[in-house]
Amino acid sequence: MSPPLFEIDALHVAVEDKQIVNGLTLTLRPGEVHAIMGPNGSGKSTLANSLMGHPRYTINGGDVRLDGESVVELAPDERARLGLFLAFQYPTDIPGVSMINFLRRAMSARRGEEIPVREFRQVLNEVLGRLQMDEQFVRRYVNDGFSGGEKKRAEILQLGLLEPKVAVMDETDSGLDIDALRIVSEGINTFHSDDNAILLITHYQRILRYVQPDHVHVLIDGRIVESGDASLAERLERDGYEPFMARAKEEVLTS
Amino acid sequence: MTTATLDTSADAEIKPDELRAQVSALSRAKDEPDWLLAFRLASLEQALGMEWWTGQEESWRRTPRERLPRRARVTDFRAAAHSANGRLTRVPQHVFAPHAHAGLIHKYHGDIVATDIAEQAESDGVIIQPLSEAAVAHPNLVQRWLGAVGQPLDRYDALGRAIWTQGVFIYAPPGVVVDDSLFYLVTQDTSAGDHWHYTLVVADRESQVSLIDAGDADDRRVQLEEAPLVHASVELMAEDGAHLQFASVQRWHRQTAALSTTRGRVGRDASIRVTTAAFGADLDKQRIDMDMSHNGGFAEMRGLFVGDGNQHIEHVTRQHHKGVGASSDLLIRGVLTDESQAVQYGLIRIEPEGQKTNAHQTMRNLLLDDGAGADPIPMLEIEADDVKCSHAAAVGPVDPDQLFYLQARGIPPTIAERMVVRGFLAEIADGVPDEHMRDVIDELVEIQLEPARSNP
Repeated sequence: MSPPLFEIDALHVAVEDKQIVNGLTLTLRPGEVHAIMGPNGSGKSTLANSLMGHPRYTINGGDVRLDGESVVELAPDERARLGLFLAFQYPTDIPGVSMINFLRRAMSARRGEEIPVREFRQVLNEVLGRLQMDEQFVRRYVNDGFSGGEKKRAEILQLGLLEPKVAVMDETDSGLDIDALRIVSEGINTFHSDDNAILLITHYQRILRYVQPDHVHVLIDGRIVESGDASLAERLERDGYEPFMARAKEEVLTS
Repeated sequence: MTTATLDTSADAEIKPDELRAQVSALSRAKDEPDWLLAFRLASLEQALGMEWWTGQEESWRRTPRERLPRRARVTDFRAAAHSANGRLTRVPQHVFAPHAHAGLIHKYHGDIVATDIAEQAESDGVIIQPLSEAAVAHPNLVQRWLGAVGQPLDRYDALGRAIWTQGVFIYAPPGVVVDDSLFYLVTQDTSAGDHWHYTLVVADRESQVSLIDAGDADDRRVQLEEAPLVHASVELMAEDGAHLQFASVQRWHRQTAALSTTRGRVGRDASIRVTTAAFGADLDKQRIDMDMSHNGGFAEMRGLFVGDGNQHIEHVTRQHHKGVGASSDLLIRGVLTDESQAVQYGLIRIEPEGQKTNAHQTMRNLLLDDGAGADPIPMLEIEADDVKCSHAAAVGPVDPDQLFYLQARGIPPTIAERMVVRGFLAEIADGVPDEHMRDVIDELVEIQLEPARSNP
């Protein structure tokens, strides 16, 4: 078995003194797709944001390692340059900053050197084409006035351009109609290779029809309460989160 | 960067007879016609009949008193050091020199060092000329519109009409559409002291014209013994159906006390769009006053600034509606670093007859340092009952979610902040009607942010 690419080790995260993630452990190896599924309030977005280092989230226990190196002390931009990526659930709009300027800066930062204009254009056009996005799209301001579907596509565009080692996808499927979901899923699949790993965080099972997970984990109250293969997602679809939530409650009471 | 504020015990007593004599001499030296001298002297009498500001007035309450001198000093450029031998030896190109233009005037110190007009514009009858010369060449036009915007707002405004040494007249004849912008470039003579500018822009019926007014200093590094006062009176006249754009970019010497009075009169179904960008000066107080007396007029007032050191940047605006169905929109965006301070005092006034008015104002201030501050004060005085008005004011740091988003893509925090700030201002700069000028503004934003953010 290849060495771990991304390790979440007994992670604890608090938001404004409220403990949200309570000892979450997960290991991603190169080439793997993991799905974390959980109901509202289970800590999905807290997990995603804390992995990327959002200042509002405090990691107060455990560790996160990329390629064996701890990243919890690193700033978000340092994590990103090492190859960690977060596809935002709600991408922030930045009026006045054009997508094209932003994308070029981001790519140059990821590479550690200024990317030549010609090469940038080439790569950009290729990924735009793959995502069926118009070239005019990148003339617009970052996420400003984008529809829900456009925002998610823009996230996948960045995923394709930045080629991270580990991509954390925070509810990338939510709010998408079936056509957009298909395009976004294809974008994820095209990006996916034997060298990188994907952590899909989702509420619904829907996206997993398009992006096949190797492992599925159920997140309740900031803990993984069950792990399995793709069939676990089907079970969730059938039975819902209720049985897992009842069990999690029981475990807390007896522990 | 911090700039030492001078002790401006520089208020000066007004000596009426001395001033009258100086104004007469000035007018004669410029070979002005008698009616223009009469206009100057009448304005001077108005000024003498007014009082200086005391700081009690609502629109002056937040202006630091010791930093804006109360004086009326007629600058004698002939006596200034640069032209000791009566001639300029070398004139550097103005930093704002345009790539393309329909016409331009460059005033270096008191002298006109460049003047040009495009063939098309000239044959269309477009005028861009020093005001004194225009008064001789086109007396009917100048006389008709000079001061026609209304009575002076206060003593500075009245003085501006009396003791100006640098004047320019812009005119677009009826129906003429001027594609490229006209440029008025001014280089501040830091050795000469006070500057009084007078700019008159007339867009005659159904014409379209844009003027870019750009001010720079001859020497930005020199330490001055006294803070100079730079006053600009700007009168913008858009006749019925005309569209007038005015953009002003100022980068005066850092010790300057800059005061401008920009007044617009918007004709029926006409529009005036004003964009101002403030970078230089120790204190910059801009007054923008829009007279919306005619039906269906539209006015847009946009201001951007980047303050650093302990700059004081102030906007006092009025959207005065009397016409039916007119619209006006004020949008001010500023970035403040170090100890710099901003004030925005914006009034929307709608008279009883101003029905169906659409008037809005937005003031947004980004504070990048703890010592910086901003005080936006939107005011509404509405006497009509069928209007749409809104106002919004904000003061705060850069949105942490925007910074996080950029950082999450590998962009270091200092660069991320710079990007957000430039983006924030770009929305205003985009209103400037000349691409090269937009780039210049973007560069100035960058320069202004640079020394201010010495601690990454």
